[in-house]
Amino acid sequence: MKPFFLNLWSHCVRLTARWPSIGSIAPFIPLVAGWWIVTELEVFPRAFLPGPVDVVRSFGSLVYTGILPEYLQDSMVRLAVGAFWGIALGVPLGMLVGLSQRAHTALWPLLLFFQAIGDIAWLPILVIWFGYGLITMTVVIVYTVIFPVVLNTVLGVRSIPITMHRAALSLGASRTRILWEVVLPGALPNIVTGLRNGLGYGWRALIATEIIVGTSGIGFLMFDARRAGSVVEILLGMIILGILWYIVDSWILAPIERATGQRWGLVTR
Amino acid sequence: MKNLTIRNLSKTYFDPYAGTNVTAVHDVSLDVRQGEFVSIVGPSGCGKTTILNMIAGFIPHTGGEILLDGRPVKGPGADRGVVFQSFALFPWRTVLENVAFGPKMRGVGKAEREKIAYEYLALAKLTEAAGRYPAELSGGMQQRVGVVRALANEPDVLLMDEPFASVDAQTRMTLQEELTRIWQEKRPTVIFITHDVGEAVFLGNRVVALSKGRVLEEIAIDLPRPRSWDALNDDPRFKELSGRVLQLVRSA
Ligand SMILES: Nc1ncnc2c1ncn2[C@@H]1O[C@H](COP(=O)(O)OP(=O)(O)OP(=O)(O)O)[C@@H](O)[C@H]1O
Ligand SMILES: [Mg+2]
Repeated sequence: MKPFFLNLWSHCVRLTARWPSIGSIAPFIPLVAGWWIVTELEVFPRAFLPGPVDVVRSFGSLVYTGILPEYLQDSMVRLAVGAFWGIALGVPLGMLVGLSQRAHTALWPLLLFFQAIGDIAWLPILVIWFGYGLITMTVVIVYTVIFPVVLNTVLGVRSIPITMHRAALSLGASRTRILWEVVLPGALPNIVTGLRNGLGYGWRALIATEIIVGTSGIGFLMFDARRAGSVVEILLGMIILGILWYIVDSWILAPIERATGQRWGLVTR
Repeated sequence: MKNLTIRNLSKTYFDPYAGTNVTAVHDVSLDVRQGEFVSIVGPSGCGKTTILNMIAGFIPHTGGEILLDGRPVKGPGADRGVVFQSFALFPWRTVLENVAFGPKMRGVGKAEREKIAYEYLALAKLTEAAGRYPAELSGGMQQRVGVVRALANEPDVLLMDEPFASVDAQTRMTLQEELTRIWQEKRPTVIFITHDVGEAVFLGNRVVALSKGRVLEEIAIDLPRPRSWDALNDDPRFKELSGRVLQLVRSA
Protein backbone atom coordinates (compact mmCIF):
# COMPACT_ATOMS: atom_id res chain seq x y z
CA MET A 1 0.00 0.00 0.00
CA LYS A 2 2.65 2.47 1.06
CA PRO A 3 4.67 2.59 -2.16
CA PHE A 4 1.44 3.25 -4.03
CA PHE A 5 0.68 6.39 -2.01
CA LEU A 6 4.29 7.49 -2.18
CA ASN A 7 4.22 7.10 -5.93
CA LEU A 8 0.98 9.04 -6.12
CA TRP A 9 2.44 11.76 -3.95
CA SER A 10 5.61 12.20 -5.97
CA HIS A 11 3.51 12.15 -9.10
CA CYS A 12 1.41 15.01 -7.71
CA VAL A 13 4.49 16.99 -6.75
CA ARG A 14 5.98 16.65 -10.21
CA LEU A 15 2.68 17.53 -11.85
CA THR A 16 2.14 20.71 -9.83
CA ALA A 17 5.76 21.70 -10.41
CA ARG A 18 5.23 21.49 -14.16
CA TRP A 19 1.82 23.18 -14.20
CA PRO A 20 1.58 25.52 -11.19
CA SER A 21 -2.08 26.28 -12.00
CA ILE A 22 -2.94 22.73 -10.93
CA GLY A 23 -1.66 23.67 -7.49
CA SER A 24 -4.22 26.45 -7.28
CA ILE A 25 -7.04 24.16 -8.36
CA ALA A 26 -6.17 21.43 -5.85
CA PRO A 27 -7.76 23.10 -2.77
CA PHE A 28 -11.11 23.04 -4.56
CA ILE A 29 -11.13 19.31 -5.17
CA PRO A 30 -12.21 18.26 -1.64
CA LEU A 31 -14.76 21.09 -1.61
CA VAL A 32 -16.41 19.93 -4.82
CA ALA A 33 -16.18 16.30 -3.71
CA GLY A 34 -17.92 17.13 -0.42
CA TRP A 35 -20.63 19.04 -2.25
CA TRP A 36 -21.10 16.14 -4.65
CA ILE A 37 -21.38 13.60 -1.83
CA VAL A 38 -23.92 15.74 0.06
CA THR A 39 -26.12 16.03 -3.01
CA GLU A 40 -25.78 12.34 -3.94
CA LEU A 41 -26.88 11.38 -0.44
CA GLU A 42 -29.87 13.69 -0.94
CA VAL A 43 -29.37 15.33 2.45
CA PHE A 44 -31.32 18.28 1.06
CA PRO A 45 -33.95 18.12 -1.67
CA ARG A 46 -32.45 18.35 -5.17
CA ALA A 47 -34.40 21.49 -5.97
CA PHE A 48 -32.77 23.26 -3.00
CA LEU A 49 -29.22 22.06 -3.52
CA PRO A 50 -28.38 20.77 -6.98
CA GLY A 51 -25.11 18.89 -7.48
CA PRO A 52 -21.96 19.83 -9.41
CA VAL A 53 -23.11 17.85 -12.43
CA ASP A 54 -26.35 19.85 -12.66
CA VAL A 55 -24.40 23.10 -12.46
CA VAL A 56 -22.00 22.02 -15.20
CA ARG A 57 -24.96 21.00 -17.38
CA SER A 58 -26.62 24.37 -16.78
CA PHE A 59 -23.32 26.06 -17.63
CA GLY A 60 -23.25 24.16 -20.91
CA SER A 61 -26.75 25.13 -21.93
CA LEU A 62 -26.31 28.79 -20.97
CA VAL A 63 -23.11 28.96 -23.00
CA TYR A 64 -24.86 27.22 -25.88
CA THR A 65 -27.73 29.72 -25.94
CA GLY A 66 -25.23 32.56 -25.77
CA ILE A 67 -26.74 34.13 -22.65
CA LEU A 68 -23.78 33.46 -20.38
CA PRO A 69 -21.06 34.81 -22.71
CA GLU A 70 -23.13 37.94 -23.27
CA TYR A 71 -23.79 38.55 -19.57
CA LEU A 72 -20.18 37.78 -18.74
CA GLN A 73 -19.01 40.30 -21.28
CA ASP A 74 -21.43 42.93 -19.95
CA SER A 75 -20.17 42.49 -16.39
CA MET A 76 -16.51 42.56 -17.39
CA VAL A 77 -16.94 45.64 -19.57
CA ARG A 78 -18.66 47.46 -16.71
CA LEU A 79 -15.83 46.51 -14.36
CA ALA A 80 -13.21 47.62 -16.90
CA VAL A 81 -14.93 50.97 -17.52
CA GLY A 82 -15.23 51.51 -13.79
CA ALA A 83 -11.59 50.59 -13.25
CA PHE A 84 -10.47 52.91 -16.03
CA TRP A 85 -12.26 55.95 -14.62
CA GLY A 86 -11.35 55.00 -11.09
CA ILE A 87 -7.66 55.10 -12.02
CA ALA A 88 -7.94 58.10 -14.33
CA LEU A 89 -9.58 60.20 -11.62
CA GLY A 90 -8.15 58.58 -8.50
CA VAL A 91 -4.42 58.62 -9.23
CA PRO A 92 -4.14 62.36 -10.09
CA LEU A 93 -6.39 63.23 -7.17
CA GLY A 94 -4.30 61.09 -4.84
CA MET A 95 -1.08 62.68 -6.12
CA LEU A 96 -2.50 66.15 -5.56
CA VAL A 97 -3.66 65.38 -2.03
CA GLY A 98 -0.41 63.54 -1.25
CA LEU A 99 1.86 66.34 -2.49
CA SER A 100 0.06 69.52 -1.50
CA GLN A 101 -0.62 70.22 2.12
CA ARG A 102 -3.25 72.74 1.08
CA ALA A 103 -5.11 70.23 -1.08
CA HIS A 104 -4.86 67.76 1.77
CA THR A 105 -6.43 70.20 4.22
CA ALA A 106 -9.20 71.04 1.77
CA LEU A 107 -10.03 67.59 0.42
CA TRP A 108 -9.23 65.03 3.07
CA PRO A 109 -12.37 65.58 5.20
CA LEU A 110 -14.51 65.43 2.07
CA LEU A 111 -12.86 62.17 1.02
CA LEU A 112 -13.52 60.59 4.38
CA PHE A 113 -17.11 61.86 4.39
CA PHE A 114 -17.97 60.45 0.97
CA GLN A 115 -16.06 57.24 1.56
CA ALA A 116 -18.36 56.57 4.52
CA ILE A 117 -21.52 56.82 2.46
CA GLY A 118 -20.72 53.58 0.72
CA ASP A 119 -21.39 52.49 -2.81
CA ILE A 120 -24.83 50.91 -2.74
CA ALA A 121 -26.19 53.64 -0.49
CA TRP A 122 -26.03 55.82 -3.59
CA LEU A 123 -28.29 53.56 -5.64
CA PRO A 124 -31.67 55.03 -4.66
CA ILE A 125 -30.72 58.54 -5.66
CA LEU A 126 -28.72 57.45 -8.73
CA VAL A 127 -31.70 55.51 -10.05
CA ILE A 128 -33.81 58.65 -9.76
CA TRP A 129 -31.14 60.73 -11.49
CA PHE A 130 -29.92 58.34 -14.20
CA GLY A 131 -32.49 55.54 -14.32
CA TYR A 132 -31.77 51.83 -14.65
CA GLY A 133 -28.75 51.72 -16.86
CA LEU A 134 -25.06 51.83 -17.58
CA ILE A 135 -24.54 55.31 -16.12
CA THR A 136 -25.90 54.31 -12.74
CA MET A 137 -23.77 51.17 -12.68
CA THR A 138 -20.63 52.95 -13.84
CA VAL A 139 -21.03 55.64 -11.21
CA VAL A 140 -21.35 53.04 -8.47
CA ILE A 141 -18.27 51.13 -9.59
CA VAL A 142 -16.15 54.24 -10.07
CA TYR A 143 -17.31 55.39 -6.67
CA THR A 144 -16.20 52.10 -5.12
CA VAL A 145 -12.88 51.86 -6.96
CA ILE A 146 -11.82 55.46 -6.49
CA PHE A 147 -11.51 55.62 -2.70
CA PRO A 148 -9.04 52.81 -2.18
CA VAL A 149 -7.06 54.14 -5.16
CA VAL A 150 -6.98 57.71 -3.83
CA LEU A 151 -6.20 56.78 -0.24
CA ASN A 152 -3.44 54.36 -1.25
CA THR A 153 -1.98 56.85 -3.73
CA VAL A 154 -1.81 59.47 -0.98
CA LEU A 155 -0.09 56.94 1.25
CA GLY A 156 2.34 56.01 -1.52
CA VAL A 157 3.18 59.61 -2.41
CA ARG A 158 3.80 60.48 1.22
CA SER A 159 6.01 57.47 1.81
CA ILE A 160 8.54 58.57 -0.83
CA PRO A 161 11.64 59.74 1.08
CA ILE A 162 12.42 63.41 0.67
CA THR A 163 15.91 62.47 -0.53
CA MET A 164 14.31 61.05 -3.72
CA HIS A 165 12.88 64.46 -4.54
CA ARG A 166 16.15 66.13 -3.62
CA ALA A 167 18.24 63.72 -5.68
CA ALA A 168 16.05 64.34 -8.72
CA LEU A 169 16.15 68.11 -8.25
CA SER A 170 19.92 68.24 -7.97
CA LEU A 171 20.21 66.08 -11.08
CA GLY A 172 18.34 68.81 -12.92
CA ALA A 173 14.74 67.56 -12.90
CA SER A 174 12.01 70.19 -12.95
CA ARG A 175 9.10 70.01 -10.50
CA THR A 176 6.72 68.77 -13.19
CA ARG A 177 9.24 66.22 -14.45
CA ILE A 178 9.47 64.88 -10.89
CA LEU A 179 5.78 63.98 -10.95
CA TRP A 180 6.45 61.51 -13.71
CA GLU A 181 9.98 60.43 -12.77
CA VAL A 182 9.71 60.15 -8.98
CA VAL A 183 6.20 60.56 -7.57
CA LEU A 184 4.33 58.21 -9.89
CA PRO A 185 6.80 55.30 -9.85
CA GLY A 186 7.45 55.79 -6.13
CA ALA A 187 3.75 55.53 -5.38
CA LEU A 188 3.06 52.81 -7.96
CA PRO A 189 3.23 49.78 -5.66
CA ASN A 190 0.69 51.47 -3.38
CA ILE A 191 -1.46 52.46 -6.34
CA VAL A 192 -1.58 48.86 -7.54
CA THR A 193 -2.49 47.69 -4.05
CA GLY A 194 -5.25 50.31 -3.96
CA LEU A 195 -6.49 49.19 -7.33
CA ARG A 196 -6.46 45.58 -6.26
CA ASN A 197 -8.56 46.40 -3.20
CA GLY A 198 -10.77 48.78 -5.16
CA LEU A 199 -11.54 46.30 -7.88
CA GLY A 200 -12.34 43.67 -5.26
CA TYR A 201 -14.90 45.99 -3.70
CA GLY A 202 -16.02 47.18 -7.14
CA TRP A 203 -16.66 43.65 -8.30
CA ARG A 204 -18.97 43.04 -5.35
CA ALA A 205 -20.67 46.41 -5.80
CA LEU A 206 -21.21 45.61 -9.46
CA ILE A 207 -22.97 42.34 -8.70
CA ALA A 208 -25.13 44.02 -6.07
CA THR A 209 -25.98 46.79 -8.51
CA GLU A 210 -26.84 44.33 -11.26
CA ILE A 211 -29.10 42.46 -8.87
CA ILE A 212 -30.92 45.67 -8.00
CA VAL A 213 -30.96 47.71 -11.20
CA GLY A 214 -29.51 45.43 -13.88
CA THR A 215 -30.98 44.20 -17.12
CA SER A 216 -28.01 41.98 -17.92
CA GLY A 217 -24.82 40.71 -16.30
CA ILE A 218 -23.92 37.96 -13.86
CA GLY A 219 -25.74 39.64 -10.97
CA PHE A 220 -28.86 39.95 -13.11
CA LEU A 221 -28.55 36.29 -14.14
CA MET A 222 -28.70 35.28 -10.49
CA PHE A 223 -31.58 37.60 -9.70
CA ASP A 224 -33.49 36.41 -12.76
CA ALA A 225 -32.89 32.79 -11.77
CA ARG A 226 -34.35 33.47 -8.34
CA ARG A 227 -37.50 34.75 -9.97
CA ALA A 228 -37.70 31.54 -12.00
CA GLY A 229 -36.84 29.46 -8.96
CA SER A 230 -33.72 27.99 -10.59
CA VAL A 231 -31.27 27.27 -7.79
CA VAL A 232 -28.89 25.72 -10.28
CA GLU A 233 -28.37 29.03 -12.10
CA ILE A 234 -27.94 30.91 -8.82
CA LEU A 235 -25.19 28.51 -7.81
CA LEU A 236 -23.63 28.80 -11.25
CA GLY A 237 -23.61 32.60 -10.93
CA MET A 238 -21.94 32.40 -7.52
CA ILE A 239 -19.27 30.05 -8.78
CA ILE A 240 -18.58 32.24 -11.80
CA LEU A 241 -18.13 35.26 -9.51
CA GLY A 242 -15.48 33.43 -7.54
CA ILE A 243 -13.64 32.06 -10.55
CA LEU A 244 -13.67 35.34 -12.44
CA TRP A 245 -12.26 37.27 -9.51
CA TYR A 246 -9.64 34.61 -8.97
CA ILE A 247 -8.53 35.02 -12.58
CA VAL A 248 -8.50 38.83 -12.51
CA ASP A 249 -6.63 38.94 -9.22
CA SER A 250 -4.04 36.22 -9.65
CA TRP A 251 -3.42 36.53 -13.40
CA ILE A 252 -3.53 40.29 -13.80
CA LEU A 253 -3.29 42.25 -10.56
CA ALA A 254 -0.92 40.13 -8.49
CA PRO A 255 1.70 39.87 -11.30
CA ILE A 256 1.63 43.66 -11.74
CA GLU A 257 2.15 44.07 -8.01
CA ARG A 258 5.08 41.66 -8.14
CA ALA A 259 6.65 43.28 -11.19
CA THR A 260 6.72 46.71 -9.54
CA GLY A 261 7.08 46.70 -5.79
CA GLN A 262 8.96 43.47 -5.32
CA ARG A 263 11.49 43.84 -8.11
CA TRP A 264 12.27 47.35 -6.92
CA GLY A 265 12.62 46.22 -3.33
CA LEU A 266 9.90 48.63 -2.22
CA VAL A 267 7.86 45.87 -0.64
CA THR A 268 9.26 42.81 1.01
CA ARG A 269 8.45 39.49 -0.53
CA MET B 1 36.62 79.53 -12.87
CA LYS B 2 33.63 78.04 -11.05
CA ASN B 3 34.59 78.88 -7.48
CA LEU B 4 32.29 78.42 -4.54
CA THR B 5 32.25 81.24 -2.01
CA ILE B 6 30.49 81.01 1.32
CA ARG B 7 30.37 84.21 3.37
CA ASN B 8 29.13 84.52 6.97
CA LEU B 9 26.67 81.71 6.43
CA SER B 10 24.30 80.99 9.30
CA LYS B 11 21.19 78.96 9.90
CA THR B 12 18.66 79.23 12.69
CA TYR B 13 16.02 76.56 12.96
CA PHE B 14 12.74 77.31 14.65
CA ASP B 15 11.51 74.47 16.79
CA PRO B 16 7.70 74.78 16.76
CA TYR B 17 7.19 72.34 19.62
CA ALA B 18 9.53 73.98 22.08
CA GLY B 19 8.85 77.42 20.61
CA THR B 20 12.58 78.17 20.55
CA ASN B 21 15.24 79.00 17.99
CA VAL B 22 18.20 76.68 17.47
CA THR B 23 21.21 78.11 15.69
CA ALA B 24 22.90 75.19 13.96
CA VAL B 25 25.40 77.16 11.86
CA HIS B 26 27.16 80.37 12.97
CA ASP B 27 28.97 82.69 10.63
CA VAL B 28 30.70 80.11 8.46
CA SER B 29 32.97 81.36 5.68
CA LEU B 30 34.70 79.13 3.16
CA ASP B 31 36.27 79.45 -0.28
CA VAL B 32 36.47 76.43 -2.52
CA ARG B 33 38.40 76.78 -5.78
CA GLN B 34 37.58 74.80 -8.86
CA GLY B 35 39.08 71.32 -8.79
CA GLU B 36 39.71 71.38 -5.06
CA PHE B 37 38.77 68.57 -2.66
CA VAL B 38 37.68 70.02 0.69
CA SER B 39 36.76 67.82 3.64
CA ILE B 40 34.56 69.18 6.39
CA VAL B 41 34.92 67.23 9.59
CA GLY B 42 33.22 67.56 12.95
CA PRO B 43 31.34 65.63 15.60
CA SER B 44 27.72 64.61 15.31
CA GLY B 45 25.29 67.50 15.52
CA CYS B 46 27.84 70.21 14.68
CA GLY B 47 25.87 71.35 11.64
CA LYS B 48 27.61 69.54 8.77
CA THR B 49 24.43 68.32 7.08
CA THR B 50 22.84 71.72 7.58
CA ILE B 51 25.71 73.42 5.74
CA LEU B 52 25.61 70.94 2.90
CA ASN B 53 21.83 71.20 2.55
CA MET B 54 22.10 74.97 2.29
CA ILE B 55 24.78 74.74 -0.41
CA ALA B 56 22.66 72.18 -2.26
CA GLY B 57 19.71 74.56 -1.96
CA PHE B 58 17.48 72.05 -0.15
CA ILE B 59 16.92 74.40 2.77
CA PRO B 60 17.12 78.22 2.87
CA HIS B 61 19.88 79.92 4.87
CA THR B 62 19.00 82.57 7.40
CA GLY B 63 22.14 84.68 7.09
CA GLY B 64 25.14 85.33 4.86
CA GLU B 65 25.51 84.24 1.26
CA ILE B 66 26.47 81.33 -0.96
CA LEU B 67 27.92 82.21 -4.36
CA LEU B 68 28.71 79.76 -7.11
CA ASP B 69 30.68 81.30 -9.96
CA GLY B 70 29.73 84.68 -8.48
CA ARG B 71 25.99 84.06 -8.55
CA PRO B 72 23.90 83.47 -5.41
CA VAL B 73 22.53 79.97 -4.95
CA LYS B 74 18.75 79.72 -5.02
CA GLY B 75 17.22 76.27 -4.60
CA PRO B 76 18.60 72.96 -5.89
CA GLY B 77 20.14 72.71 -9.33
CA ALA B 78 22.18 70.49 -11.61
CA ASP B 79 25.27 72.66 -11.08
CA ARG B 80 25.60 71.13 -7.60
CA GLY B 81 25.56 67.31 -7.57
CA VAL B 82 24.77 65.56 -4.32
CA VAL B 83 25.78 62.14 -2.98
CA PHE B 84 23.53 61.13 -0.11
CA GLN B 85 24.38 59.07 2.95
CA SER B 86 21.27 56.97 2.26
CA PHE B 87 22.30 56.59 -1.43
CA ALA B 88 18.88 57.84 -2.65
CA LEU B 89 19.05 55.81 -5.87
CA PHE B 90 15.77 55.51 -7.76
CA PRO B 91 14.64 51.96 -6.97
CA TRP B 92 12.43 51.80 -10.10
CA ARG B 93 15.34 52.52 -12.42
CA THR B 94 18.21 50.22 -13.35
CA VAL B 95 21.75 51.20 -12.47
CA LEU B 96 22.29 52.40 -16.03
CA GLU B 97 19.11 54.50 -16.00
CA ASN B 98 20.02 55.95 -12.61
CA VAL B 99 23.38 57.10 -13.92
CA ALA B 100 21.85 58.38 -17.16
CA PHE B 101 19.17 60.33 -15.24
CA GLY B 102 21.01 63.65 -15.09
CA PRO B 103 21.86 63.73 -18.82
CA LYS B 104 18.27 62.67 -19.57
CA MET B 105 16.94 65.68 -17.65
CA ARG B 106 19.26 67.86 -19.75
CA GLY B 107 17.63 66.46 -22.87
CA VAL B 108 20.53 64.27 -24.02
CA GLY B 109 19.34 61.55 -26.43
CA LYS B 110 19.08 57.94 -25.33
CA ALA B 111 22.11 56.54 -27.18
CA GLU B 112 24.33 59.43 -26.14
CA ARG B 113 23.33 59.40 -22.46
CA GLU B 114 23.81 55.64 -22.22
CA LYS B 115 27.26 56.08 -23.67
CA ILE B 116 28.02 58.67 -20.97
CA ALA B 117 26.56 56.39 -18.29
CA TYR B 118 28.63 53.40 -19.42
CA GLU B 119 31.77 55.51 -19.43
CA TYR B 120 31.21 56.57 -15.81
CA LEU B 121 30.12 53.10 -14.73
CA ALA B 122 33.39 51.73 -16.10
CA LEU B 123 35.22 54.30 -14.00
CA ALA B 124 33.85 52.66 -10.83
CA LYS B 125 34.06 49.10 -12.24
CA LEU B 126 30.27 48.83 -12.37
CA THR B 127 29.78 47.88 -16.02
CA GLU B 128 28.54 44.43 -15.03
CA ALA B 129 25.79 45.86 -12.83
CA ALA B 130 24.35 48.21 -15.46
CA GLY B 131 21.12 46.25 -16.00
CA ARG B 132 20.39 45.52 -12.36
CA TYR B 133 18.07 47.32 -9.97
CA PRO B 134 19.51 49.08 -6.90
CA ALA B 135 17.77 46.66 -4.53
CA GLU B 136 19.83 43.87 -6.10
CA LEU B 137 23.16 45.49 -5.18
CA SER B 138 25.22 45.52 -1.99
CA GLY B 139 25.45 48.75 0.01
CA GLY B 140 28.97 49.42 -1.25
CA MET B 141 27.90 49.00 -4.87
CA GLN B 142 24.85 51.20 -4.34
CA GLN B 143 27.01 54.02 -3.09
CA ARG B 144 29.39 53.63 -6.02
CA VAL B 145 26.36 54.13 -8.23
CA GLY B 146 25.38 57.15 -6.12
CA VAL B 147 28.81 58.74 -6.66
CA VAL B 148 28.89 57.91 -10.35
CA ARG B 149 25.34 59.19 -10.91
CA ALA B 150 26.29 62.58 -9.47
CA LEU B 151 29.58 62.67 -11.44
CA ALA B 152 27.98 61.72 -14.76
CA ASN B 153 25.97 64.93 -14.62
CA GLU B 154 29.27 66.88 -14.51
CA PRO B 155 28.27 69.34 -11.78
CA ASP B 156 30.42 72.36 -10.93
CA VAL B 157 30.56 71.17 -7.33
CA LEU B 158 30.06 67.69 -5.92
CA LEU B 159 28.56 67.66 -2.42
CA MET B 160 28.96 64.48 -0.40
CA ASP B 161 27.34 63.97 3.01
CA GLU B 162 28.98 61.10 4.89
CA PRO B 163 28.57 58.91 1.81
CA PHE B 164 30.58 55.99 3.17
CA ALA B 165 29.26 56.00 6.73
CA SER B 166 26.89 53.09 6.27
CA VAL B 167 29.22 50.51 4.69
CA ASP B 168 31.63 48.19 6.47
CA ALA B 169 35.21 49.26 7.22
CA GLN B 170 36.93 47.31 4.41
CA THR B 171 34.47 48.46 1.77
CA ARG B 172 34.81 51.99 3.06
CA MET B 173 38.59 51.92 2.51
CA THR B 174 38.12 50.61 -1.01
CA LEU B 175 35.55 53.29 -1.76
CA GLN B 176 37.84 55.99 -0.39
CA GLU B 177 40.71 54.82 -2.57
CA GLU B 178 38.43 54.66 -5.57
CA LEU B 179 37.18 58.16 -4.90
CA THR B 180 40.70 59.61 -4.79
CA ARG B 181 41.53 57.82 -8.03
CA ILE B 182 38.37 59.10 -9.76
CA TRP B 183 38.98 62.58 -8.39
CA GLN B 184 42.48 62.62 -9.86
CA GLU B 185 41.14 61.48 -13.19
CA LYS B 186 38.16 63.86 -13.47
CA ARG B 187 39.17 66.66 -11.11
CA PRO B 188 35.71 67.61 -9.90
CA THR B 189 35.29 70.21 -7.16
CA VAL B 190 34.30 68.29 -4.06
CA ILE B 191 32.96 69.20 -0.64
CA PHE B 192 33.12 66.05 1.42
CA ILE B 193 31.44 65.86 4.80
CA THR B 194 32.43 63.32 7.41
CA HIS B 195 32.81 62.74 11.11
CA ASP B 196 35.79 60.46 10.47
CA VAL B 197 39.08 62.35 10.84
CA GLY B 198 41.14 59.71 9.01
CA GLU B 199 38.76 59.82 6.06
CA ALA B 200 38.83 63.62 5.93
CA VAL B 201 42.65 63.73 5.88
CA PHE B 202 43.01 60.81 3.47
CA LEU B 203 40.74 62.37 0.86
CA GLY B 204 41.13 66.13 1.12
CA ASN B 205 43.42 68.84 -0.17
CA ARG B 206 42.18 70.76 2.79
CA VAL B 207 40.34 69.86 5.96
CA VAL B 208 37.90 72.25 7.62
CA ALA B 209 37.33 71.42 11.28
CA LEU B 210 33.89 72.31 12.51
CA SER B 211 32.44 72.44 15.99
CA LYS B 212 29.06 73.62 17.27
CA GLY B 213 28.29 75.29 13.97
CA ARG B 214 31.56 77.26 13.75
CA VAL B 215 34.73 76.78 11.72
CA LEU B 216 37.63 76.10 14.10
CA GLU B 217 40.49 75.95 11.63
CA GLU B 218 41.45 75.00 8.11
CA ILE B 219 44.38 72.66 7.62
CA ALA B 220 46.08 72.10 4.28
CA ILE B 221 46.82 68.44 3.54
CA ASP B 222 50.07 68.24 1.64
CA LEU B 223 50.17 64.46 1.30
CA PRO B 224 51.30 63.26 -2.14
CA ARG B 225 48.89 61.60 -4.57
CA PRO B 226 47.89 58.99 -5.61
CA ARG B 227 46.97 58.08 -2.07
CA SER B 228 46.39 54.57 -0.80
CA TRP B 229 45.80 53.17 2.64
CA ASP B 230 48.72 50.74 2.28
CA ALA B 231 51.09 53.66 1.88
CA LEU B 232 49.48 56.08 4.31
CA ASN B 233 48.68 53.81 7.25
CA ASP B 234 52.21 54.07 8.57
CA ASP B 235 53.06 57.42 7.06
CA PRO B 236 54.31 59.80 9.78
CA ARG B 237 53.01 62.91 7.99
CA PHE B 238 49.52 61.36 7.71
CA LYS B 239 49.61 60.48 11.40
CA GLU B 240 50.71 63.96 12.35
CA LEU B 241 47.96 65.64 10.32
CA SER B 242 45.28 63.28 11.57
CA GLY B 243 46.43 63.81 15.12
CA ARG B 244 46.21 67.57 14.74
CA VAL B 245 42.71 67.46 13.27
CA LEU B 246 41.56 64.99 15.89
CA GLN B 247 42.84 67.23 18.66
CA LEU B 248 41.08 70.24 17.18
CA VAL B 249 37.78 68.44 16.88
CA ARG B 250 37.99 66.95 20.34
CA SER B 251 39.18 70.06 22.16
CA ALA B 252 36.18 72.14 21.14
N1 LIG C 1 14.92 70.49 10.81
C1 LIG C 1 15.51 70.85 11.97
N2 LIG C 1 14.82 71.52 12.92
C2 LIG C 1 15.40 71.88 14.08
N3 LIG C 1 16.68 71.63 14.38
C3 LIG C 1 17.44 70.97 13.50
C4 LIG C 1 16.89 70.54 12.24
N4 LIG C 1 17.86 69.89 11.54
C5 LIG C 1 18.97 69.92 12.34
N5 LIG C 1 18.71 70.58 13.50
C6 LIG C 1 19.69 70.81 14.58
O1 LIG C 1 20.81 71.42 14.03
C7 LIG C 1 22.01 70.90 14.59
C8 LIG C 1 22.92 70.42 13.48
O2 LIG C 1 22.33 69.33 12.81
P1 LIG C 1 23.00 68.61 11.54
O3 LIG C 1 22.08 67.58 11.05
O4 LIG C 1 23.45 69.63 10.58
O5 LIG C 1 24.27 67.92 12.24
P2 LIG C 1 25.39 67.00 11.59
O6 LIG C 1 26.69 67.64 11.86
O7 LIG C 1 25.07 66.67 10.19
O8 LIG C 1 25.29 65.70 12.50
P3 LIG C 1 25.47 64.16 12.11
O9 LIG C 1 26.94 63.90 12.05
O10 LIG C 1 24.85 63.44 13.26
O11 LIG C 1 24.77 63.93 10.82
C9 LIG C 1 21.58 69.81 15.56
O12 LIG C 1 21.64 70.35 16.85
C10 LIG C 1 20.17 69.50 15.17
O13 LIG C 1 19.43 69.15 16.29
MG1 LIG D 1 24.51 64.80 9.13
